[in-house]
Amino acid sequence: MLSHSIKEMIFYKVRYLLILFILFFIASLVFIINGLANGLSMDNASSIKKMNAESFFLDKDSENRIDRSKLTMGEISEDDFSANMQPLGISMTSMGIEKSDKDIEVTLMAINSASFLEPIAKEGKGLSNKKVNEVVLDDSLKQEGIKLGQKLRDEKSGVWLEVIGFTSNQTFSHTPVAFITFDTWKEINLEPFYSAIVVQNSSDSMEDISNKVNDGGWIEKEFVVKGIPGYEAEQNSLFMMLAFLIVIAVFVLGAFFYIMTIQKTNQFGILKAIGAKTAYLCKSTLLQVMILTMISLIAAVGFTWAIFLVLPEDIPFLFDPIQIAKFSGIIAIVSIFGSLLSTFNIIQADPIQAMGRVE
Amino acid sequence: MQSQYPLSLKSVTKMYEDGDKTAIILKDLSFNIKNGEMIAIIGPSGSGKSTFLSIAGALLTPDDGEVIVNGVTINNCNESDKANVRLNQIGYIFQTSNLVPYLNVEENLFFVLKMAKQWSVASKEFCHLLLEKVGLLNRAKHYPYQLSGGEKQRAAIARAFVNHPEIILADEPTASLDSSRSLAVMELISNMVKQYNKAAIIVTHDEQILPLCDRIFTMKDGNLVEKEREFI
Repeated sequence: MLSHSIKEMIFYKVRYLLILFILFFIASLVFIINGLANGLSMDNASSIKKMNAESFFLDKDSENRIDRSKLTMGEISEDDFSANMQPLGISMTSMGIEKSDKDIEVTLMAINSASFLEPIAKEGKGLSNKKVNEVVLDDSLKQEGIKLGQKLRDEKSGVWLEVIGFTSNQTFSHTPVAFITFDTWKEINLEPFYSAIVVQNSSDSMEDISNKVNDGGWIEKEFVVKGIPGYEAEQNSLFMMLAFLIVIAVFVLGAFFYIMTIQKTNQFGILKAIGAKTAYLCKSTLLQVMILTMISLIAAVGFTWAIFLVLPEDIPFLFDPIQIAKFSGIIAIVSIFGSLLSTFNIIQADPIQAMGRVE
Repeated sequence: MQSQYPLSLKSVTKMYEDGDKTAIILKDLSFNIKNGEMIAIIGPSGSGKSTFLSIAGALLTPDDGEVIVNGVTINNCNESDKANVRLNQIGYIFQTSNLVPYLNVEENLFFVLKMAKQWSVASKEFCHLLLEKVGLLNRAKHYPYQLSGGEKQRAAIARAFVNHPEIILADEPTASLDSSRSLAVMELISNMVKQYNKAAIIVTHDEQILPLCDRIFTMKDGNLVEKEREFI
């Protein structure tokens, strides 16, 4: 059966190549949009997504938006914090660069140094609890010409911060993150506050916080990420594109397979007349669809990988094998589903058609 | 004894709904054929020759009566069993060759064997023997579109014999050929039917092939009437 199916595809190269290309381009588009969605998601929210945290305690009025959440510092004592539970301060601000007219938009994140919230400094050194007015920046700011030792001025407070290190992939709402200690945080904010209490692994002490602070609640990281300004709108529109692409794929492939089997109805009739069973014909058609799908999916994965390699670095794109495998599965199911429409024609093909027909 | 005939029809009736009227195509038709016998069926078009052949070949189900192939009544078989009967017991030769276009000549023969799960070295050799008999061995690797009408029909004849069927059914096998070629094709069918001791029914318009047949029937009023030899 396999050789029979393949021989047919080789003989009618053009029509099968057309389907192959349609499948290939749809699959590639799905993979590329998925890569962009992942890339944008990382570019938008990598600081929270990569945070080794499980739940966040936010102010109830914040509507899951960590940048709006304000917890009064007085209500929680330093003793409540542990290696597993840490405070986090977030505020979005603009900063002036020393000896430059340029302003940069950053998100300040206040953390305790040496806590699980502190990112690894890839260049320079990390923050120290003993020193104030130091900052560790996301290395995307190097493209703005910022170097180690340079000073940045917080526009709101006028406080000068010295760049002592760079870390990588730390963004919040598409802005680079600037990490500072809580001592610096207190210098900058006249009324310092915690944006969130972050817990690494769920523990009983989460209830203590809930009891102490009335107007707040624990939410999981996933929801904090969704609450980042612009995150959901961005992801939803990309997701909608993906959903539409897959729906389009069902119809395009369905129509294509349908037309092809209509063309072959007479052929099916003849094969039935010389003894082929309906099940055999359905199986061989399905086999062809599976071969086509396999080839085009493998080609599309390769193509997406190539795109990933050649895209310039400032275009956010992430090649996620697990998600690509998932979408491959969906596309495979979709194309088999599309071809099932045509099995109806195979069942209906009448062997009597072989009789009495002059070419 | 039913089983002495490879094919026998008993009181077969077939009707068609034509608007509010019912047209009776075959009426209480009974018919037997022996091995080694070649029978021609002639008659005007629309007289039911092709319907008769379709019923004999398990392509159509009669409204009444019995169709017995090698002692087995096939009226009540399901589609899959009928497909098996067509595959293993009947060899068809159609008006047009109806070769599978994307398989070459020998693959068209192999394909039938593979479907019947009779694929072996011996059966492959038999394919080549058949192709030699129909004079197409040198064309075994050609695709149908590369063959002439007569060659295609000869390939179809070889295919009809490949599964060792007891019954050969031919529906106007020479309709798409000119007169010199059609005689050659008919001689070929006749020789092979005699050599392999098959039972063959040929539906035809072509008077010149009648001398090759053992018995000749005319389709008249839904029944088969045997013609006397002297009239030909």
